[in-house]
Amino acid sequence: MKLAVTVKDLRKTYRQPRRRTGAFGGLRGLLQPEYTELAAVAGVSFDIRAGERVAIIGPNGAGKSTTLKMLSGVLEPTGGAADVLGFTPCRERRALAYRIGVVFGQRSQLWPELPARDSFALLQRIYDQPDELFGRRLGELSERFGVAGLLDQPPGRMSLGQRMRCEIVGSLLHGPALLFLDEPTIGLDVTAKAAIRDFIREQSAREGQTVVLTSHDARDIELVCERVIVINAGRIVLDEATEGLRRRFLARKLVTVRSVAPELTVEMTGVTRRPSEPHTTVLEVDTARARVEAVVAAALAHGGIDDVSVEDPPMEEVVHEIYASLDG
Amino acid sequence: MRSTPLWTAEAARPAWTREALADLRAAASAFRLGLTGAFAAWPALVGRVAFYAVCLMVLGAFWSKVGAARLPGTLAARLPASGLAPYIGVTEWIVISTVAVQLRFEDEVRSGVLEARLLRPRSWALLLIAEAAGGTAARMIAIAPAALALLLVADVWPGVEAVVRTVLLAIGGVVLALLAYALVGLSAFWVRRVLPAALIVQKLMFLLGGLFAPISLYRGWLHTLAVASPFAGQLGFPGQAILGMSWADFARALAAQVAWTIVLAAIVALVCRAGVAKTLREGAS
Repeated sequence: MKLAVTVKDLRKTYRQPRRRTGAFGGLRGLLQPEYTELAAVAGVSFDIRAGERVAIIGPNGAGKSTTLKMLSGVLEPTGGAADVLGFTPCRERRALAYRIGVVFGQRSQLWPELPARDSFALLQRIYDQPDELFGRRLGELSERFGVAGLLDQPPGRMSLGQRMRCEIVGSLLHGPALLFLDEPTIGLDVTAKAAIRDFIREQSAREGQTVVLTSHDARDIELVCERVIVINAGRIVLDEATEGLRRRFLARKLVTVRSVAPELTVEMTGVTRRPSEPHTTVLEVDTARARVEAVVAAALAHGGIDDVSVEDPPMEEVVHEIYASLDG
Repeated sequence: MRSTPLWTAEAARPAWTREALADLRAAASAFRLGLTGAFAAWPALVGRVAFYAVCLMVLGAFWSKVGAARLPGTLAARLPASGLAPYIGVTEWIVISTVAVQLRFEDEVRSGVLEARLLRPRSWALLLIAEAAGGTAARMIAIAPAALALLLVADVWPGVEAVVRTVLLAIGGVVLALLAYALVGLSAFWVRRVLPAALIVQKLMFLLGGLFAPISLYRGWLHTLAVASPFAGQLGFPGQAILGMSWADFARALAAQVAWTIVLAAIVALVCRAGVAKTLREGAS
């Protein structure tokens, strides 16, 4: 099993100057500085296999961005060790930069007023790519991500979804083996989000690229990643397969019944009715207290049923559940 | 996919040479991007040309009044016979053309964009300065016809040789100005807001560089200080070149510019290194 990332007891403590109050507080702070220490990452350890797609999630301030920064080499750890594609990120930042691609959902690496092609030309020089290889990659990626017709447009005049697709193309032009995605779908509409997720998943599967993603959108995690690492207060609190996480964490099923009657009532222990539209009834089944087939049978017994579906709760609820348990 | 592809012909070169060449190619590409970007925003360029023309008319008229008085014992008595319009035409050409690169540095440091830039294998500061140089070149090109037209209209054409010397020294001048502004911008790593430092440098540039009057008019310690400062290379020498300068003086001015460019570039590199090290240690924001 080839590993792309190995992290052992990685730690980061920020030292922040304490601000003093009062008219001369600033001067006193300058002459006699006092510091507070904040442990942003308090010893995390994990491995990521080459080609794996992993989500790192957690509440705001949990330490996930700090972890990503240390892995990409733009932040020195206070302790512990990280190995990314055979490089020590904090010591070999420039060499590692050739092997990783990074997309920040809220920060553009393209020049807004110039055609995307011009920005890509600069990226070619920054990553020292030969003309022939670069031209071939740009052709392939722009076709695959559906931006071939947008190359002569400035990103400032593109829709958010188009711009994000161009950002991802830009991050892949130098052929990275590992892709860091920080909130890649933030601010996009539903269609654009779905397209971006499909592109990332297909690209990773085709090229064998490892993907490390952070997002607050549970669908990104659910549809792109096969494994989730949950960080809270600088520590890993959960690390398991996305599917297993969903099954383990929420012992619930959603039974959706479409009926001729505007409303359907199923009175059973362990079954609650969720708010839903007329002619559609969504029942939440606690599988520890009620059997799904019994709930379906009870619904069918009403007659006039058009459709019944049984689903796991959306990932969003899993994430809420995990965060709620962390608070508790 | 190849991870660190390099030009085949360069494979035999030492690693540092390959890196230096790659840095130069990236800088050239950033320069081109800055140039293209400035021309793409052509309404802003037109506005800058108009501003240049207004500045020149106002300041030219002011100095022609002062010069006409020729008061004995004052600076006005030593003014060149052709007036100061050509001189101010050159110094304003440099000042109005120079991109305020310090604001880009401040913005990228304060907003945390710097972290994204550090994920690239090339020097962040080099690319920013190269891009600003491209923008500056575009402005110089746009303003140049206005400057030449004003020389012809005012009937103070200094000859092709003087114009060539002036253009060469003006290029050196903007390089020095960009490096000085870059240094100001890099102070954002420690002071966050660069405006106070920028204002101080601007005032020194105006006084010691001789924005409104040639430093050759200064006397005593002020003259010595001005000539020894990098600001003379920014504005004073290029301005003096249009009024008349021997080839020997031109060579001396050029040597001073090269020397100050090396010194300022080294300081920029050191300060940038210290700032980036601070960011890697403490985080961007």
